[in-house]
Amino acid sequence: MMPSQSIWMIRSALLYLILSVSIGTVILLQKVIDLHPFIWALLPAHYEMAIWGWIVQLAMGTAYWMFPKKLDDPRRGPNWAGWAVFILFNMGLIFLVISTLFQSLIYAAVFGRGLLLISILIFAVLMWQRIVTYRNHH
Amino acid sequence: MPTTTRWFIKSGVFYFILGITLAFLAEFPSLTGNLSLLPIYWHMLVMGWITQLIIGVSVWMFPRKHRDKKKRESILVWSAFWTLNIGLILRFLSEPFIPILEDHQIIKTSIILSALLQWIAVLLYTIEIWPRLQNRKKSRRSKA
Repeated sequence: MMPSQSIWMIRSALLYLILSVSIGTVILLQKVIDLHPFIWALLPAHYEMAIWGWIVQLAMGTAYWMFPKKLDDPRRGPNWAGWAVFILFNMGLIFLVISTLFQSLIYAAVFGRGLLLISILIFAVLMWQRIVTYRNHH
Repeated sequence: MPTTTRWFIKSGVFYFILGITLAFLAEFPSLTGNLSLLPIYWHMLVMGWITQLIIGVSVWMFPRKHRDKKKRESILVWSAFWTLNIGLILRFLSEPFIPILEDHQIIKTSIILSALLQWIAVLLYTIEIWPRLQNRKKSRRSKA
């Protein structure tokens, strides 16, 4: 069964895919049609959303769902920890994207990357306990 | 493994090889001249390889909403495959020449078409995969 945390991480990843490709579409069009010079300023947001929002978040959501579960409850680790990963990761990414658009917000990038770091540390602890095999378990 | 998955992954492997080859060639400016290769090999790796691998595997592994016996391939998935790949081919054939042939009508048309096709492909894939993201309780409720 796909857990709610994975469902939300994968849904968020799909939204970031659409956002990133939409911005990429406009940037590509800007190369042949002079739409607006501001469009080039969207380039860092385009790749931050593609890498973190789409690829990394989808991998995290899928791993949280599919990796071997623990034998004791809670089988995917504490429920709140899975939600913390989703919420901190997405808050961090929003701050990171905002920081690429508004250069004056110098602390937004630090705060955003800090939240991403905390969420990935929690994720690593959760997943570390599930990188196991039960082949020889009796 | 469904047919669509195999097509997505094989196409992905093709772009993976092509992307890393271009990245290697880009190290020799005497060979590539004024061609703009950086965005080409990045998009070959991120859209052509990683995204197609993700799409292929998710279409295969994510729980299906309608489990018919033939496991017929969704029209949406095939449409996503062709729109994405035609879009990528058009892009990779025309984008390197933008610095040289910026005002050429064929380049402009090809870039516009490629941008729209890639965008449509992503929407089609999302429409296919979004309803599959359900936990068991909800999917039972929606079948009842």
